[in-house]
Amino acid sequence: MSYIEVNGLKKTFTVRKKREKGKLFREKQTVEALKGVSFSVEKGELVGYIGPNGAGKSTTVKILSGILTPDGGEALVGGRVPWLERREYVKHIGVVFGQRSQLWWDVPIVDSFSLLKDIYRLSAADYESRLKELTEALQLEEFLRTPLRLLSLGQRMRAELCGSLLHRPELLFLDEPTIGLDAVSKLALRDFLKWENAEHGTTIMLTTHDMEDIAALCSRVMVLGHGQKLYDGTLPELLEKFDTVRTVSVKYDGALPDIKLPEGISFERGENELSITYAPSVFPTAKLLATLQEAGRISEMTLQPENIDRLIAAMYKEMDL
Amino acid sequence: MRAYFSVFRMRLRMETQYRGAMIGGIVCQVFFGLILVALYRALYAGNPQPVPIEHVATYVWLQQSFFRMLTSTDPDLLDKIRNGNISYDLCRPVSMYWFYYVRAMAQKLMGSMMRGIPMLIFASLLPKGWGLEPPASPAGLVLALAALVPGFLCMCALANLTMGITMRTLDPRGISAMLDLLMISFSGNILPLTLFPDSWQRVLSLLPYAQLLDAPIRLYTGEYAPIEALRILSVQIVWAAILIGLGKGLWNANRRRLIVQGG
Repeated sequence: MSYIEVNGLKKTFTVRKKREKGKLFREKQTVEALKGVSFSVEKGELVGYIGPNGAGKSTTVKILSGILTPDGGEALVGGRVPWLERREYVKHIGVVFGQRSQLWWDVPIVDSFSLLKDIYRLSAADYESRLKELTEALQLEEFLRTPLRLLSLGQRMRAELCGSLLHRPELLFLDEPTIGLDAVSKLALRDFLKWENAEHGTTIMLTTHDMEDIAALCSRVMVLGHGQKLYDGTLPELLEKFDTVRTVSVKYDGALPDIKLPEGISFERGENELSITYAPSVFPTAKLLATLQEAGRISEMTLQPENIDRLIAAMYKEMDL
Repeated sequence: MRAYFSVFRMRLRMETQYRGAMIGGIVCQVFFGLILVALYRALYAGNPQPVPIEHVATYVWLQQSFFRMLTSTDPDLLDKIRNGNISYDLCRPVSMYWFYYVRAMAQKLMGSMMRGIPMLIFASLLPKGWGLEPPASPAGLVLALAALVPGFLCMCALANLTMGITMRTLDPRGISAMLDLLMISFSGNILPLTLFPDSWQRVLSLLPYAQLLDAPIRLYTGEYAPIEALRILSVQIVWAAILIGLGKGLWNANRRRLIVQGG
């Protein structure tokens, strides 16, 4: 049996609409956040969980972290049902909500950590060694005595991560951890997550809108839309399905030669530069390159796959999300 | 236990940081105290009551000094409910109810100490009939302090009930305004319960609101004789148990139907 087993998970929310004119009561509307989602995750896996806003990603994370009770379906994590054995279960997991904070606003972050030490009943020695390890890996030493409110968003997110990992959880949920972070902080965060996963075998489940997060971290990606699982596999395979268009830019020595390209391939001509957008399925890349090379002496060339965000947008559109 | 103690200590410390609020609170409560005593003195000048005015003044000052214990709900917790940071507290291996209960204890205790002690010193310096009188007897003082313990437990339980209701309505203002009105009227904060007609008092003194500060204050002023203390403490303890039970029930029900909105 896998470490995480989720079977037909369902959750509906009731939304009350504004009362319409002429009606006595407000109308209720039920929103199916999850319509029977199933998956399994092995120990030590690093799984990305993507989908447009409102797809049910956070709902899944909240159910699996014991916060919400689902309306139907089963989930077992490490042999426990999260919402039934909440207090025992949550000792073994860590959660980071990118848009929320668990640390105390007005006090130095190390004081928040020491409260967490008491909440999880860590021994002094265990706490000290883990704190040292995490503050080194997350470069937090110099901020330990600084109140949270004085930290930048990037520093704060690192502190939040440290707080969520102090009790050495076997499973870490990250709900949009890189939201609002700058490039340096994002890279540092990704490096840290890889390190934590490799060093301690921590299973990590990550929701994000940043496809670079997925590309850099996750060996496996699940796509969720309208409360259903639409894809489960590797990122390259997913992209291959939707990666329809590529762009080649070529510069020639001297004037631009006359090149004959088959119908249906669009190109833009510059002074001595040519930019071609083509679909590899229609016109193979190798053939195109050969044609270009025959035409003249190439001085510079770049080949770009389509922007990953656009791919995902195209994919969401195709999946009717 | 360690977790609860630790969060208690943390909240105590946080409370000491709000010095501006402390000074504002003292000024406001001293002002209220003076107005109320002046008002009751004016009432007594025209229409003397069976309760001596010195007792009424003492009652008013003790109520005002511990005002912070009475009505305050923790603004941090209300924020957590509104902005969803409560999610984090839900994934801790602790009892949510008691975790929040000890926070309320720390906030009310430190908040009222910081305001109450300077105020009581001030009130005891006022002339007789205006200020705070010494306790009726040493036994009265001891029993009043003893009665403050279950009273305090009731106040924290009421704070958690408000919190539990806020979890359902999401906005604390409406329900807080209503509960605070009941609290201020029936706890004796504005009109000392001793000044209500006797027939009213028989009912009022059994309500939970009379267990908070009214019962300890009456033991202090000698309104309740030390011999009655056992009965009074029993009523208080029963109410503390009921309020905690109700609160826990409400919180457990909330947990099952909880939604954390906004992603």
